[in-house]
Formats: sequence, structure tokens, C-alpha cells
Amino acid sequence: MSRPAEYADASEAAIADVLADAATSGWLKSALRDALRRDPVDALNDALVLAAVLEAHLREVLDLEH
Amino acid sequence: MADESSRARGPTTRLDRDLLIGRLAAHGRANYQFRAVEEPSYYLKLLTSRGERVLWGKDLERALTEAETRPVIGDLVGARRASREAVTITTRQRDAAGQVISQAERKAHRTHWVVEKVQFFAERARMARRLRDEQADVRESVRAHPELRSAFLSVRAAEEFASQRIPNEADRAKFLDLVRGALAGSIRQGEPIPSVRLNEPKRASAKPVKRDEPTR
Repeated sequence: MSRPAEYADASEAAIADVLADAATSGWLKSALRDALRRDPVDALNDALVLAAVLEAHLREVLDLEH
Repeated sequence: MADESSRARGPTTRLDRDLLIGRLAAHGRANYQFRAVEEPSYYLKLLTSRGERVLWGKDLERALTEAETRPVIGDLVGARRASREAVTITTRQRDAAGQVISQAERKAHRTHWVVEKVQFFAERARMARRLRDEQADVRESVRAHPELRSAFLSVRAAEEFASQRIPNEADRAKFLDLVRGALAGSIRQGEPIPSVRLNEPKRASAKPVKRDEPTR
């Protein structure tokens, strides 16, 4: 099943914006390029796990827990 | 309603007071839930590790404009419900001439928010620990965190009150523990640090009595 063109355009524009933004870290650009070569479901699944783990790490390091 | 997040409604729980962390994606005035028929409110859109979250509440505008850390779009921020107060909202219907023709009252809750860059909450957590730690040297703590001075004065005022009014030592200790805990909790939540003035004994001096300056 092919993607609706407008979704593809929006996605590609968002990717191009992130990669072109001088404020984007090298780590994020590299991670994004790697992720785009992977299965999109696996890539997003991993990214969500990564975000959750990093948030827990931030809360721990900054002692933000109750 | 204009003071709810997009999550399920319910009474204030511990979860409600949790710190929500996310990237500030957008904020502004809009009708609640972006529905034309709803009341004007204020929204804050956060990109969290669990997806996008939209918080709603009129107080969010004040929380952002009065924030100490001045968060802007793109910053990693924390948002926390600091307190809720019961309010009565009066709705008046007027005729074409502007005369009130009917009036209805309903109970609601006004939520007070704290929205700051995430580092603010880390700093407040450190300050709360300082206050809680009975062994901490007060002078050293105040030197490190001058804004804690009024909080330490609050503890001192509580100690004076306890020594005069609570004869039982165990009750006194319990009371002071509660005061310290409450103050530390407020500081950690991001609420304004309380200001307090002690009644100093009058001295035969030409100098005016020095007052403690409010923290905020």
C-alpha cells in the first residue's frame, strides 16, 4: 500500500528540515540518517524506547523524582 | 471547562502533581480543546517521550509569562500543577440592552501551574534537600542558596512557636518535621518560596529595624 503523497511530502520536508538545521546536534543527524535506512516500524519503536529511557535517566540525574 | 489537560479528568492525585517533562512545541490562547463552542483558555503543547501532550488551563499563560527561567519554544521544560483551588464561576446571560436576565453559578477548580525549564526543578530539588537536612549548616546553606533565607526563617519561626506552645518534646519534633517537610515539598514543587518576618525584640537604637526582604 503506497503512502498518500501529502504524508510523504510532509515527512520528507520534516526530515530535510532537521538535517539542514544548524542547531540540530550531529548525534541526532547521524541517528536520523541511520534510522531512515531501517524498517520504519522498528526505527520508531526503538526511538520511543530511547526517549523513555533517556527521560528516566534525566529524572534520575537531576533528582526530579518525588 | 478550561482547566483540564487532555488526559482523563479526576480528583487531584499524586499523578496530577507529577512533573511532566517535554519539549515546548507550542503555546497560546485558544478555545478549550480547540472547539469553537468551548470557553477561551490557554494551551501548552509538549512533545514528551510518550508522544504529544496538550495541557489546558487559563493559568498556563501566567505560569509561562512569570516563569523565572523564561522558557521558549524548543526548550525542554517541566510542567506541574502546583495547587488547585475551588472557585465559583458565575455565568450571566444578558439581553440586547445589556441587562442581566439570568444568572447561574457552578463549582469548578482553578489549577495553578508551574512551567519552567527543566533545570529549574533540579535546582529546587537541591534546595528542598538542603532545607530537609537537619544537619546542614544554615549559614552555609544560605550562602549557597540566598533565596532559601526566608525558608530557614520560616523554620526558625516554627521552632519559636513550638518552644512556646508545644510542651511535649515528641509533639514538638513531629510538628517541626511536618513544617520542614511542607516547606521542602513546596520548594520542590516550584512554588514561590515563602517570605516571613520575625518579630525582633525592640532595641534602644537609632537604626531602623531591618526587615527581611521578600524573596520574590
